[in-house]
Amino acid sequence: MAFAQFVVNGLLVGALFAAVAVGFALIWGVVDIINLAHGEMVMLGGYASYWTITLVNGSPTASPGLALASVPVAVAVLFVVGYALQRFVVSHVIGTDLFLTLLVTFGLSILIQQLGLQAFSADPRTISVQFAEQSLDIAGLVVPKVKLIAFVGAVALTIALFAFMKRTRTGRAIRAVSQNDEAAALVGIDVEHVRAVTFGLSSAIAGGAGAFVAMILNIQPQMGLIYTLKSFVIVVFGGIGSVPGALVGGLLLGTVEELTAGFVSSKWTLAVSFTLLIVLLVVKPQGLFGEGMGGEAE
Amino acid sequence: MSERGHYARQMFAFTDDHGWKLLAVLAFVGVVLPFVGLEEGIDMTILVELFLFAILALSWDLIGGQTGYPSFGQMAFFGVGAFTTAILVKDVGVAFPVAFAVAGLLTMLTAGVVGAATLRLRGGYFAIATLGVLLSAQQITRNLEITGGASGKILLDVPSDTVFYWTFLGLLIAEIAVVYYLQSTRFGYVLNAIRDDEGKLTAMGVNTTYYKTAAWMISALFTGLAGGSYSLFNTFVDPNVGYNLAWNVEMIAMALLGGSGTVAGPVLGAFGLHFAVVKIETWFTGWQLVVLGAVVIVTVIAFPQGIVGELRERASSMEYYKHGGQAASESPGGDDGGTDTDANGEHATDGGESL
Amino acid sequence: MSQPTQQRTESDSDVVLETQGVTKTFGGLTAVDDVDLAVEAGEIVGLIGPNGAGKSTLFNCITGTLTPDDGEIVLHGTTVTGKPEYEIAREGLGRMFQHTRVYGEMTVMRNMLVSAKRDGGIGSVLRRPSEEAREQATELLQYVGLWGLRDVRAGRMSFGQQKLLEFAMALMAEPDVLLMDEPAGGINPSMLNKLIEYIRSANTDREVTIFLIEHNMDFVMEVADRIYVLAHGEKIAEGPPAEIQENDRVLDAYLGRE
Repeated sequence: MAFAQFVVNGLLVGALFAAVAVGFALIWGVVDIINLAHGEMVMLGGYASYWTITLVNGSPTASPGLALASVPVAVAVLFVVGYALQRFVVSHVIGTDLFLTLLVTFGLSILIQQLGLQAFSADPRTISVQFAEQSLDIAGLVVPKVKLIAFVGAVALTIALFAFMKRTRTGRAIRAVSQNDEAAALVGIDVEHVRAVTFGLSSAIAGGAGAFVAMILNIQPQMGLIYTLKSFVIVVFGGIGSVPGALVGGLLLGTVEELTAGFVSSKWTLAVSFTLLIVLLVVKPQGLFGEGMGGEAE
Repeated sequence: MSERGHYARQMFAFTDDHGWKLLAVLAFVGVVLPFVGLEEGIDMTILVELFLFAILALSWDLIGGQTGYPSFGQMAFFGVGAFTTAILVKDVGVAFPVAFAVAGLLTMLTAGVVGAATLRLRGGYFAIATLGVLLSAQQITRNLEITGGASGKILLDVPSDTVFYWTFLGLLIAEIAVVYYLQSTRFGYVLNAIRDDEGKLTAMGVNTTYYKTAAWMISALFTGLAGGSYSLFNTFVDPNVGYNLAWNVEMIAMALLGGSGTVAGPVLGAFGLHFAVVKIETWFTGWQLVVLGAVVIVTVIAFPQGIVGELRERASSMEYYKHGGQAASESPGGDDGGTDTDANGEHATDGGESL
Repeated sequence: MSQPTQQRTESDSDVVLETQGVTKTFGGLTAVDDVDLAVEAGEIVGLIGPNGAGKSTLFNCITGTLTPDDGEIVLHGTTVTGKPEYEIAREGLGRMFQHTRVYGEMTVMRNMLVSAKRDGGIGSVLRRPSEEAREQATELLQYVGLWGLRDVRAGRMSFGQQKLLEFAMALMAEPDVLLMDEPAGGINPSMLNKLIEYIRSANTDREVTIFLIEHNMDFVMEVADRIYVLAHGEKIAEGPPAEIQENDRVLDAYLGRE
C-alpha cells in the first residue's frame, strides 16, 4: 500500500515537473538555447503567486479560488520577464557559440537567484490553501486536494501551451522559426519578436508551475537550479520538442523521486534522479545524438 | 585596426618566443614578495586567493577552452580535494603533504570515472551533465557522516598562511608550465582540434577519448590540489564551500574574460576579476554575487572572445591581409571570404551532413 | 540489378578497397542496398548518382562513421566492418568532407601538423612536432599555394582556401585511399582545372588511390578512370566515363524515368 501511495504522490508532483520541462524544451527546440535560468522562472512564478495572495489577504493563506486566481498572475508576470530577458539579454548571444549562451543564462541564473535572496530572504515559504477537508480518500489512498489541483493545473497548462502552438497564428510562427529562421524571416515573420514570445511562453509555463509548487511544496530563492536540472533529465528522456515525451518523463521522474524519498530518504532524491540521467545517457546515446546537440551526426 | 593589429601581432610573437622567461619573471616576483615585506594577513590572503583563482581558471580552460568541453561542474573536483585533506588531516591525523598527495590522486581517479560517463557527451549535454555531477556531489557530501554533513568541518590545527602561500604559488607555476608546454606539443594540438571539430579528427585517425580524458584528468588534478589546500587554508569546509557553484561560474568568467584557449588569458582574467571581486566585496557587501552575475553577462555580450582572444583575432586578421588575404592563393571561393567558421560555434555542433 | 563483376574483384589482387553486399537502412528506408564495388590501387574512381542515391551513406559505411546492417568493407584485403572510425582511418583511409571541415580556430600550420601521420610511439605525443613533419607540411602548403597564410587562423580563410587546406591535410596523413565527397562542390568554375590537376598529381606523384563522389558531371568524366552509378541505394552501372555517358539506365535514373 505504501508503494501505491508513493506512486500516487509521485504522479501528482510529476505533472508539475513535466510542465516546467515542457517550457525548457520549448526554448531549446525553437531558439536553440539551453536556458540554465529556467528554474529561476519557476522560483519567480512561485513568489509572484505568493505575493499576490499576501497582498490580497494579508497573509499567504488562500481559499482554493484565490490560489487558482493567483496562477494567471504568475503566468502573466513571467511572460513579461521571459520576453524581456530574450529581447534585452539572450538575443545578443543567439547564433554565436552554444557555450556563450550557456554562460549568459548561467549568469542570469545567479543574478536572479541572488536578487531573490536580497528581496525575499533565504527563508522557505509556502502558500497554504484552505479546504474544509484537506484530503480525499480514494480506495485507501490519501490524495491531498491541493496536490490534485496542482496536478490538474499543470496538465491544463501543458495542454494550453500545446493548443497554442497548434492552433494560433503565433504558434505557427514559432514553429516556422524553429524549423528555419531564415525562411521565416523571408515570409515576413518578425523573428526577434517570435523568439521573445517563445521565451515568454517558456517562462510563463514555468511561472505557472512555480505557483503550484508554492502551494504543494515550498519556494526558496535558491531552488532554481534543481528545477533546471530536473527539466533537463526529463527532456533528455522524452526528446526535445515532444510534449507527450515530457509528460511521461515528468511523471516518471516524480514517481522515482517519491519512491526514493519514501523508501530511502528525501535527502537522496537529487542523487538518484541524476544517476537516472547518467544511465539514460549511457543507454540511449543514439537517441540523444540524433537530436543535433549531441555531436557527430555525420 | 591594422595599427592595433600590428601591436597585437608583435605582442604574441613576443609572448610566444619568451613564454618561459615571462613565467620565470612571475615566479621570481612571487618568490621575492615574502622577503620584501609581505606578511601574513590580509594582503597575503588576497594574493593566495589570486593564485587560487588563476589555478582554477587555467584548469577550467584546459578542458573548457582548449578542448571545447565546457565543464559546469569543475568545482566537484575542488570539493573532493577539499574534503579529502580535511578528513585526512583532522580525523586521521595525517600530515598535510601526504593528505595533499592523496587528494590529488583521488580527484584524478574521480575524474577518470566521471569522465568515462560524461566525456562522450557534447556541448549542452556535457555542460548540464557536469553541472549535475556537481550538484549531486554536493548533496551526497551533505548526507554523509564522514564529511561532517551539512555543517562541514572546522579545521584548527593547520599549517601557517605562509605555507599555503608557497603551496598555491608552486601549484600555479607548475600548472602554467604544464599547460604552456602542452600547448606546443602534438597533445596540445589535438586538444585544440577536438574543440574545433572532433568528428573530423576522428575521421583522420585519432582516438579522441584518450586525449580528452587525459586533459580532463590533468585539469581535475590541479583543481583537486587547489581544493585540498584551500580547505585547510580556509580552516573550514562545508558542502557550500567545497562545491561552490558561484566559483564555478567565476572561473569560467575569468577564463573567458581573459581569453580562453590561451595560457595568459585565464591567468590575467583571474587576477583582474578577482581583484574586482575583492573591491566589490568591500563596496557592496552582500551583493558581490549579484555583481558577479551581471559581470558574467556583460562580459559575454561585450567580449565574446575575451580580451586576449580579441587581440589574437586582430593579429590573425592582420596576418591574413598582410599576405593578400583571398588573393594569396588565387582561389576565390563561392562567397567572398565570408565563411568564418566561428559564426556558428564549433564547440557544440559539427556540421550534421546528410546521412 | 548489378552486373556480374564478381570474378574481377576476386581475381584481382590490386584491389585496395572493396564493399561486399553493403546494405544500410534507416527506419524503413533502404539508403544503400546490397552494393558491391572495388577500387584498385592507383585508380581514380568516381561515384555518381542523383540526390538521395545513398552515396554519402555508402561513404559513411566505408569510413566506419556508420556500421552497415549487412555486408563487409574490405581494406587492403582485411575486413574492417564494425571497427571504430579512427582505426579504419589509421589503416590508410583518408577522407574529405562534403562541407569542408578544417580546425577553424587553429592556424593553417597547426591544422597541417595535427594531421600528420603519427610516427614514433606514445612519447611523440608529448613532444613538439618533428622536423620531418614540419618540412612535409611546408612542402604541401607550398604545393597548394597556402604557405603565405600559414599563421592565419584557418576559419578566417575563404571557402576555396579552406578546401585546399583540407586537401593538403588529407595528404599530410599519407593515405593509401582518399575518399572525397564532392571536391568540386562550391568551387569557383575557374578553379576546376586546377583542382583536377591537384587530384591527378596526388594520384600519380603521391600514389594515392582516389574514390570521389561528384555531382559535376564534366568534372567527374574528366578526372575519373572508372565510375560507379548509384540510384535509390542500388548500383545500376559501372564502367569508364565514356560508357557511363551512353548508359540508358543512368540517363533514366538522372532524368527520373525509372
